[in-house]
Amino acid sequence: MSAHPLPARRWRPGFASWTTLIVGGLLLWSLWAIEASPERLARLPAQLAQVLGFFWPVDWQYGHTRVLPAIVESIQLAWIGTIIGAALSLPLAILGASTLFPWAAKVIKGISATIRAVPEILWALYLVPIVGLGPFAGALALGINSVGMLSKLGAEVVESADLAAMEAVEAAGGSRLAAIRLGLLPQVLPELMAHWLFRFELNLRASAVLGVVGAGGVGGLLLNTLRYRQFEMAAAVLVLTVLVVLAIDMVSGSVRRKLLRG
Amino acid sequence: MNRPAPPPRRLGLWLTILIGLGAMTAWSGISIGFSVSELVCNAAGGSRLLRESWPPDFAFLPRLIGPFLETVQIALIGTVVGAVIAIPVAVLAARPVSPNWLTWILDRNFMNILRTLPDLFWAMLFATAVGFGPLAGALALSVFSVAVISKLFSESVEAIDLNLTEAVRASGGSWLQMIGLGTLPQVWPQYAAYVLYAFELNVRGSMVLGLVGAGGIGMILETQRANFEYERVTMIVLAVLVVVLLIEQFSIAVRRRLT
Repeated sequence: MSAHPLPARRWRPGFASWTTLIVGGLLLWSLWAIEASPERLARLPAQLAQVLGFFWPVDWQYGHTRVLPAIVESIQLAWIGTIIGAALSLPLAILGASTLFPWAAKVIKGISATIRAVPEILWALYLVPIVGLGPFAGALALGINSVGMLSKLGAEVVESADLAAMEAVEAAGGSRLAAIRLGLLPQVLPELMAHWLFRFELNLRASAVLGVVGAGGVGGLLLNTLRYRQFEMAAAVLVLTVLVVLAIDMVSGSVRRKLLRG
Repeated sequence: MNRPAPPPRRLGLWLTILIGLGAMTAWSGISIGFSVSELVCNAAGGSRLLRESWPPDFAFLPRLIGPFLETVQIALIGTVVGAVIAIPVAVLAARPVSPNWLTWILDRNFMNILRTLPDLFWAMLFATAVGFGPLAGALALSVFSVAVISKLFSESVEAIDLNLTEAVRASGGSWLQMIGLGTLPQVWPQYAAYVLYAFELNVRGSMVLGLVGAGGIGMILETQRANFEYERVTMIVLAVLVVVLLIEQFSIAVRRRLT
């Protein structure tokens, strides 16, 4: 210790300690409300360890015959959901850019915020009775949510675009449509495609759970195997899902980086 | 007039990519039974369902308050627990400050694996392990929050100004002091923003946890759906919409102040 210690630097102590206090209070209240008593929490690690033990050995036979086809179905419905989302969101992203269409932008942003607020599984809840049990309902549900998210992100990309190129096309006598096609799209398309791919990664995770409401994919298998305590089969679902999603994330991630670097 | 040389057209490459994507789409569309005609044929059934689900059953609203409170509580516990655990996970996975190569690689893979599973999978697992109810949901969202926050936060930590950490090291500070004094103070604002973002995701996620028995409003949703009480389902979905949008607006307002 030096003889003249520097005075301790204080990082807005008032703000930090108030936040901690409030969040801590809310946490305790919530824990009390869901009846998570200290005794129950203390029992947790042993309980979890015990259940974890049931998951071994993994039932590869089940994994091969049932889980892989279901994962393929999940990938397919994630893909269709993404295609629907990408196709519909492209015009919405352009119309939703406040720099280009200030009035339309307000409406479109409101709609897309509403769509995004409803989890995709709730959309599926309505679509399953309409188009029947199965992956088609799931793909539509993912498509709806993808449109919501992609038109918001897309509008932000378009808003950050350099408008000079569009002006140049219009100054040279091009129509508005030509300006968008030649002056705007080449600028924003790589970034938009990167967002589409990112949404595909999200859709893959979401598609995995849609089976819970009967809308196809691998989620139904996990729900049923766990319900009937067939842990070794559930383990196959988990391990294969992790592996496939990791692999697709890696591929998609590297393509996205390439797109953004140009 | 001298025209500038046209940019090289890699037509072959684009054609291959387009055909590949088209084939993938066609294959997926056919296997999942995507058909517009089916959609049109089922329009009658669809309109009946829509008639049944409107108007929403407003008399049902008072009975939703308790479950909604529980839902937000689950999201809150999940966020706070996850946010605390995410700090060491993120710091150990940030290359410049991670103590050694082995920890870095292990933690990085741990983070990636954690991120592959959707929140409802965790909910199903915890519901099986600790029994149906909100505790399972809170645990599931805790894990999910660790996954979300640690990934974003470790990227922020990797982008810090390393001169400060070196200054702490050079004046004889330990690794923990380097993290506590040289690293974390630089990234607290980002951390707070990520935690709020995770809270938004958790509120949305917690709405459907009940579909797999993990507490909250979703439990009621599931029973009403099973009984085809679609007027009540609509009421719940509308209420979900309002609560999620309100919390999102709050969170966005706070985040804007932070950055």
